[in-house]
Amino acid sequence: MGDKQSHIFDTVKNYYNNYGLRAKELKGEGKQFIGYVCSLVPLEIITASGCTPFRVRGSVHEPITRGDTLLETIVCPYYRSVFDLSVKGKYNFLSGLVIPHGCDSMVRSFSAWSYGLPFSYFHFVNIPSVCDESSLEFFDAELDAFRKSLEKFTGKAITEEHLRQAIRVHNENRDKVRALYEMRKADPPLISGTELTMTLTAGSSLPIEESNGLFDQILTEVKGRGKSPLKKGPRIFIDGACLDNIELIKLVEELGGNVVADTICNGARDHFPKTEMGGDPISALSRRYLGKINCPKTYRENKAGTFEGDIASRFGDIGAYTKEYKVEGAILYVYKYCDPFGFEVPARKAYYQSLNIPLLPLEDVYSSGTIGQLRTRVQAFLEMIG
Amino acid sequence: MTKVVILNKGIIASIIGPTGPEQRRLANRVMEEALKQAALSIQEITFIVATGYGRINVPFADKQFTEITCHARGIVHLFPEARTIIDIGGQDVKGIKIDVSGKVIDFVMNDKCAAGSGRFIEVIADTLGVSLDTVGDLSLQSSHPATISNICTIYAQQEVAASLAEGVPLSDLLAGVHQSLADRICRMVNRLRVEQAVIVTGGGGKNRGLLQALSEQLGQEILVPEEPLITGALGAALMGKEIVEKARQNNTPLETKERILGAVEIL
Repeated sequence: MGDKQSHIFDTVKNYYNNYGLRAKELKGEGKQFIGYVCSLVPLEIITASGCTPFRVRGSVHEPITRGDTLLETIVCPYYRSVFDLSVKGKYNFLSGLVIPHGCDSMVRSFSAWSYGLPFSYFHFVNIPSVCDESSLEFFDAELDAFRKSLEKFTGKAITEEHLRQAIRVHNENRDKVRALYEMRKADPPLISGTELTMTLTAGSSLPIEESNGLFDQILTEVKGRGKSPLKKGPRIFIDGACLDNIELIKLVEELGGNVVADTICNGARDHFPKTEMGGDPISALSRRYLGKINCPKTYRENKAGTFEGDIASRFGDIGAYTKEYKVEGAILYVYKYCDPFGFEVPARKAYYQSLNIPLLPLEDVYSSGTIGQLRTRVQAFLEMIG
Repeated sequence: MTKVVILNKGIIASIIGPTGPEQRRLANRVMEEALKQAALSIQEITFIVATGYGRINVPFADKQFTEITCHARGIVHLFPEARTIIDIGGQDVKGIKIDVSGKVIDFVMNDKCAAGSGRFIEVIADTLGVSLDTVGDLSLQSSHPATISNICTIYAQQEVAASLAEGVPLSDLLAGVHQSLADRICRMVNRLRVEQAVIVTGGGGKNRGLLQALSEQLGQEILVPEEPLITGALGAALMGKEIVEKARQNNTPLETKERILGAVEIL
């Protein structure tokens, strides 16, 4: 690796380890950052308002302390960790926070966030639980209300042109992520899963234009690699909710597997679906966030009328990814007390069985303290499929 | 426990020693004992495979495999007809599914705490003041197994102590404990769709009371190796032997560690 090459990954590592570094710098220059959790917050509207969306993260290395004095432990450990860091002041540079109805933990605890944190702007986005014409109509109105609340907060109108421009740069970002994923198709992949997830995580702390610039540099660096930094090994798929840290992926790669694709929020779920250009921007956004983001929290009608048809329509994206990225084994990584994913585990297992892809289901507590237990399971799984 | 199996054409040494907090030192000592039994020096061992929780703490091992792969390998060697393996160890319980060719096709492990493991019986035996070797036979004398409703080891311990104070016979309590543990193990391994032949290995394989409860609840006959404690070590030795044979066949060099059995300093 040349000096310039390692330099860009050093930047990524720095943004990843000192999460919010850039936001703090830019705040000094007068920029406003709006925090959010979950894939379901329409980031384009925040960008169009002139503010910058900032994905708040938890930390698997920090025990949950203050957060547990304010939230019950029936809330999922990932969300509790994000909350814990927030009430400890890690994100005090933010100007506001947006939480969507992504799961029960989010809706039930919204008031605890708004009481416990010092931000001047809070907004809750009501995401419909089903996806049909009437829910889309409702969601259009809901997104318009979100837009109005941001207009009130910034004192500036969000025009259609602002929205279109924001949709364009966010779509560009998604194209770049796709291009990075293309680099995973080689065997062994040109970019490791650890590098990729670290890059995407760093990107979610930056203004969208900066994130685009960073991804471009990473892409150039990776394309310039003569050969892969990895050895050939089983090609692994990670299926699950938000994985905003590299620990599990790093573990798989240390043990000789290569992570090549995923459905995780901080991966394909967030970055693959694009927003339609042209037409009404709000309605295009509501179609993207409700219709295209494949999250188990949204109920989609079983049109086939059979179990096989139902799982094929709900999880068809998994089947397509596993084919496209030549996946040899999958890990279903679910947080304890995660209701949307927890309920789906049996159906997902059945779907992987129908694909003939070996599956390792893992339930974890969002803590680096469980790495030893995960190590045995992951290593045994790799030995099994290797 | 730390176990060592040395293999040539057959097993030439097999040792079971204790594991303490300083695993690396003890792996050392148990290895020395095994070498003494085989009348070999460490330099004469061609290849060493470590397995189990302490697998990364064995400084002289050339390769590490998980206990899942090793148990399967050891059991298939002893019982070629095995399709389901239940390993009941001190710290956890594992279910392993094997296909016709002896390959692992699926596995399950109990989560995080020791509630579903042999440790559960150890704690209860301690509470009741009976030795671990006798709980199996004692429980078989029961005519009315007690109901143990707590899953957590600590709460179950209190429950057993309370029942004892109420005059519930020892054998009924132990039978109840075995029923409760068998119930938990069953629920876990049934996720694998249990098929014959079912082999129980690990320390749990030495407890006749537990085996009977398990067999009844699974509705399956259960086979147990003659020495259930060493099947993981045996599997590790077999995996090592295969690696050596493969390297010789392909004429590739064997990567091995230095053969030093000195004391290891743990920081």
